[in-house]
Amino acid sequence: MAPSVLYHCPCFSRHLVPPPPHLASSSHSFHPLHTLFFCEECDAVRCNRCVSVEVSGYYCPNCLFEVPSASVRAEKNRCARNCFMCPNCRNTLSVVPSDPPDVGDGRIAPISTVGEPPFFLYCSHCRWDSAEVGITFEKPTGLAAQLQKSEDSAPDSLEFERLKEHFDPIIRASSLSSSSSAVPSSAAHSHHLHSTSITAAASAALARDIPGVGRYNPLSRSGRGTGSKDRSANKDEMPDYKSRMDATTASKMGSGGGLPDVEFMRHLENVSDVASLEQRWSYSWATSLQTKDLKPLRIPLHSKRSKRCPACTHILIKPEQKAQSVRYKIKLVAANYLPAISIALPHQVEKFGHASAEAAKRPYGKATVLTDEEKEAMSGLLAGETYPFHVSLTNPLYDPIQVKLSVQRMHVAAPSSDPGTASEKARRPPFVVSLSTTPFSVAAFAEAWEYDEDDDILDDDELEARLSGREKEPKPKTKTVGILEKRANITVVGGEVMLRKEARGNVKFNMLVSYTYRADDAPADMGSPSKSKAPATKTFAFYTVVELGPIIPREETRIDVDT
Amino acid sequence: MAPIRDKFTIHSKAVVCQDVELKGDITIGSGTIVHPKATIFAVAGPIVIGSGCIIEESAIIVNRRKEVMRIGDDNLFEIGSRIESPSIGSFNTFSTRCRVHHTVRISSFCVVGAGCLLVPAEDETLEDYTVIYGANAERRKWSGRGKAQEADLRRKHAEYLREMLPKFNRLRRGEASRE
Ligand SMILES: [Zn+2]
Ligand SMILES: [Zn+2]
Ligand SMILES: [Zn+2]
Ligand SMILES: [Zn+2]
Repeated sequence: MAPSVLYHCPCFSRHLVPPPPHLASSSHSFHPLHTLFFCEECDAVRCNRCVSVEVSGYYCPNCLFEVPSASVRAEKNRCARNCFMCPNCRNTLSVVPSDPPDVGDGRIAPISTVGEPPFFLYCSHCRWDSAEVGITFEKPTGLAAQLQKSEDSAPDSLEFERLKEHFDPIIRASSLSSSSSAVPSSAAHSHHLHSTSITAAASAALARDIPGVGRYNPLSRSGRGTGSKDRSANKDEMPDYKSRMDATTASKMGSGGGLPDVEFMRHLENVSDVASLEQRWSYSWATSLQTKDLKPLRIPLHSKRSKRCPACTHILIKPEQKAQSVRYKIKLVAANYLPAISIALPHQVEKFGHASAEAAKRPYGKATVLTDEEKEAMSGLLAGETYPFHVSLTNPLYDPIQVKLSVQRMHVAAPSSDPGTASEKARRPPFVVSLSTTPFSVAAFAEAWEYDEDDDILDDDELEARLSGREKEPKPKTKTVGILEKRANITVVGGEVMLRKEARGNVKFNMLVSYTYRADDAPADMGSPSKSKAPATKTFAFYTVVELGPIIPREETRIDVDT
Repeated sequence: MAPIRDKFTIHSKAVVCQDVELKGDITIGSGTIVHPKATIFAVAGPIVIGSGCIIEESAIIVNRRKEVMRIGDDNLFEIGSRIESPSIGSFNTFSTRCRVHHTVRISSFCVVGAGCLLVPAEDETLEDYTVIYGANAERRKWSGRGKAQEADLRRKHAEYLREMLPKFNRLRRGEASRE
């Protein structure tokens, strides 16, 4: 695993300081930069865990038809046009005509352009076709409608419809009464500090009484008997439901389970005759265990979603309505506000480059497994050694920024769980990070950069040197700590990590990044993390967690690192 | 090992581009198309390719065995495929960057999917209509429905190439006589 940097989102936690990196909760509160949003209103980072999500439209990922939300439910969340998924391999199916009848002399008859019925669905990837399961069509259009009949007559579907019918009048009747009665009680539930109209509506919906189900009240009621009064009252309102068929015989109808499946498995000769879990996973209804029974699936609809800041309800991201469009109307992503940080271990870079070239030579398929192990072994850091590392910051703003990095002190809170002897040593942090805390600048982002001379264009000497095969030493090794490089809107600073001899675990530490930028006629600062120093500048600070790699303990050899 | 003697027998109606690498005893049948940058390498025994095959760019066909490697008619070898099968039937498709080891004999109407690796340790023969697909080179049997249309498409594909390739490429031996 290459060294990584993740960004902290406090998610309304009262502690703006993230948990120490060795705790399990650490991974919960850090995210890759590209998944984060930034609310300008609150001046804060927001992540996918704390934003509120709204569906702004449904569409079919295959035909890109935008499905009105009213028909989504009626069409059971799947495309009702001509889009089907291969039940065998998940590829999209296409409608193809049949072959012309064999003339008999072995020659192939001329193929008409119109196509011969019957038509069937065909997978160009695994060559499954719907005629294998007895599904053919007279004409190549309106396939979903043609299939609808068999889908609707399936026992599960009929049962579901019946259930809906049964509950419909009760739900309708109760929605009138509960809408007035349930809301005040739900107000008590809104203990959430930042609750808004959206969250209030959601919690009201969750707290609403469900007819026929006893009111959930965990505190006042302990035993079952005490609630009988309430329950009996509800029971009277609701007639008993009688299923269409006896559930005990359902397995004979092909819904799966029971003796037929046992019998099938007993006489199994080929593993591929059993439909894998993956193949049965995306069905709406219970399906048979046998591969030969798998039916084409209507493609599930996708949704476009917009996300709001949970505190101020401003929209953070909003896609364009059209399914074909991949653009956004509003897009406040953190990558446009916070500097992008990447970490590299220079001693690995050479080896990694070598390894990936080796991997490319290997035949397809096997390569990934091996290189993972190799990378694992190579990304390890030997206990007792000192390694330099590079932090490179890229400024997304159109103004230069001043950045200050500070590594959060590791207080390894006395690991009481550790047994005797080791605990004394473990008390000390397993490694020490040295990184300059002096602020440094990162130049502004510009749309187009002129090529730096030493970047792409070789000067004559160098060209000469390269041509004659003796390349110059890339760079004289000077310093490892401090500012190493500044080019375009990127600044690279160096740090060092010293691993103790008895170190174990991962080299992982929290790093506070604060940057000062020119505030363009911003009003009085709002939100917690920002403080204005001077009238013209603002400072924003955020935490990151840096993971350099696993520590290879002293005693062990380099090979068996997988413990 | 004796040095490989080159001996190319190319049918006058085959289209073999100049920029292909041929080594050893190779026979190419009528109407077969060999794109530039393809490699046909008869290391040990000869290679005999039937008619109407399409061998695309950077495809590699190798015969490591002593006996003749026979390739039937109307096979498609897509870009970057590497095939060492000792025998191949007709109407097979070898998709992009797939690889078939010399332990596998191919019957007819088989499909080896893109990137699939077919390298069994022991000799085996793929039956007619076998489909290899997916990252794990899973197998299944194709019903064969639609094969007439596919064959028709394959022929049109070859026909188009026979017409277009000579306009932009020099041909081997200049033998592709056109009426
Ligand atoms: Zn969050
Ligand atoms: Zn669709
Ligand atoms: Zn398929
Ligand atoms: Zn906000």
